[in-house]
Amino acid sequence: MPGTMLMPQTLKLVGRASLLSKCFPEIWAEPGFKSQMRVIKTHKTLEDMPGPSTLSFFTDLFCRRGLARLHELQVEGKAKYGPVWKASFGPILTVHVAEPSLIEQVLRQEGKHPIRSDISSWKDYRVCRGHAYGLLTAEGEEWQKIRSILGKHMLKPKEVESYTGTLNGVVDDLIRRLEHQRSHHRDHVVKDVAGEFYKFGLEGISSVLFESRIGCLEPEVPKETETFIDSINTMFAMTLLTMAMPKFLHRVFPKPWQTFCQSWDYMFAFAKRHIDKRMAEVSERISRGEMVEGKYLTYYLAQEKLSMKSIYGNVTELLLAGVDTISSTLSWSLYELSRHPEMQAALHTEITTVMKGGSIPEAADVAQMPLLKAVVKEALRLYPVIPGNARVVADRDIQVGDYVIPKKTLITLCHYATSHDPSFFPDPDSFQPTRWLRKEQAHHPYASIPFGFGKRSCIGRRIAELEVYLALARILLHFEVKPEKEGDVVRPMTRTLLVPEKDINLQFVRR
Amino acid sequence: CLSHTHTALRQILDAFLIQTTRQAAMETNSLVTVHFINRNGERLTATAKEGESMLDVVVNQNLNIDGFGACEGTLACSTCHLIFEEDAFKQVDTVTDEEMDMLDLAYGLTDTSRLGCQVCIKKWMYGITVQVPMEVSDIRRQLEVGKQSKQ
Repeated sequence: MPGTMLMPQTLKLVGRASLLSKCFPEIWAEPGFKSQMRVIKTHKTLEDMPGPSTLSFFTDLFCRRGLARLHELQVEGKAKYGPVWKASFGPILTVHVAEPSLIEQVLRQEGKHPIRSDISSWKDYRVCRGHAYGLLTAEGEEWQKIRSILGKHMLKPKEVESYTGTLNGVVDDLIRRLEHQRSHHRDHVVKDVAGEFYKFGLEGISSVLFESRIGCLEPEVPKETETFIDSINTMFAMTLLTMAMPKFLHRVFPKPWQTFCQSWDYMFAFAKRHIDKRMAEVSERISRGEMVEGKYLTYYLAQEKLSMKSIYGNVTELLLAGVDTISSTLSWSLYELSRHPEMQAALHTEITTVMKGGSIPEAADVAQMPLLKAVVKEALRLYPVIPGNARVVADRDIQVGDYVIPKKTLITLCHYATSHDPSFFPDPDSFQPTRWLRKEQAHHPYASIPFGFGKRSCIGRRIAELEVYLALARILLHFEVKPEKEGDVVRPMTRTLLVPEKDINLQFVRR
Repeated sequence: CLSHTHTALRQILDAFLIQTTRQAAMETNSLVTVHFINRNGERLTATAKEGESMLDVVVNQNLNIDGFGACEGTLACSTCHLIFEEDAFKQVDTVTDEEMDMLDLAYGLTDTSRLGCQVCIKKWMYGITVQVPMEVSDIRRQLEVGKQSKQ
């Protein structure tokens, strides 16, 4: 990496500059040192950084559907300004970083308690309503405590494996639901597969959180489930808008903030209802003198003597985090497989070979399916659920490439741009899962990191991967998936997360 | 007489049981000495218990390796990256895809690299030496820039 190799040299110069200014603070004012200063000052600052004017970026965002095209603006920004540029996202100035080696450099300096963003409408809402922060919104020691508890139960390979039975129960229902939906269509088409996978995601994360089922995949979907999913969608749609809008605009147009809060209110109430119900069951059993032991996350949280408020906050965030992510990954994987029948056939062969006639893949089975994993990696490269992530280093300035970024600056990590960069992924817009299987075709490891990296990376990663593998393997054992109409193209759009712009309709042909 | 034989048998059986339990306890608790070469070249020696991970050893024995195991053994970062000697590397349990993907993101990856949180101590490891890779350039850079910003 040329960037990192250059670093020690420029560093020495900074070191010398700081020493000079320490010993002779007044010299900087001396005109005689001007020329020397120019030599010493090899680091560029925010002022030197290119980027669109505040007005032009504002028009892009609000008048040219920029909020829905944020992922494309990353690619355009990189082409126009290079790998590092600044832009004002509403009232917030943010530095965009769109080169894998520079993203690596940022992440290696994120510190002990990494911060995603210290200003966010999510945090504002919690403060406004007096709710506790959950893992997504908490910072510092508070965050570390929850992360340690949840990480132990959600990320360790042995622990993750133990959810296989629970998740496979949900996959049973998914297959039944898909059967039901396709049977209502003449050509066995399931309309809006993302909608079906939303319900699967919610049922899956609920079963992991509560060890009980909430009926999202029944023929008649409970009303509260539909409302919960709608609330997530609305909340995500309003997230970027409420953040990009300057304060005075909120007074002129109060609607977005109100809608945003209503969606959160519903989600918090939904989570509380389910937690309280589960807790009531548990206390009733205890009062009857029964031994109560559970293998679900809410139980682990309750055991750690967290306050109920904190449990509500965390479970709400875990619920919403397990829905879009699962849905988008499954939808795009099947969408691409339906358009690449030869790849789907190869994957089907891999699955049947490993299964040797068995019909329910387990964790140990999917572990032996490299093509299955490559398909999911490729889907996440093309359609990263989180197209852009962020970091704030609060306590010190950090170096990124040629620049020194002042502390507290919001740094946007442009994952969509790097995972679509032809210099790392030849023919970047085409679906080629085998690129992940060829060892010699090494790409920069930080070019596609859909789950992030490090101690603030996705806590649900391992459970989500297992859930997606189990679902995909089983779906492909039952069905061959085809596009509803040949040549029907669906593009992604940003709604905080990257989601399909319109319905993905697929034909499910029974095998 | 029959009851006498029974008592004797019982005693023998009990003695046997105690012995095997003790043996099992000794086996599970058998101690293994391993060495770590820290980033500054310092050699750290630790007495590890069979079955615990290399990361557990560093944590439990308070070995002073800066920033080691940031994600607490949850396979979410690569800060417990260790470099093995070639012979030892060949004997360690095979690497999973998940560990491999995480290793790809490690600083200074080598052919005999593993993540300490995924390698469990076994008896045969007695006396092995593992190297903590030089990641220090990042930290120095942070310190320097940090100092500068405080001016």
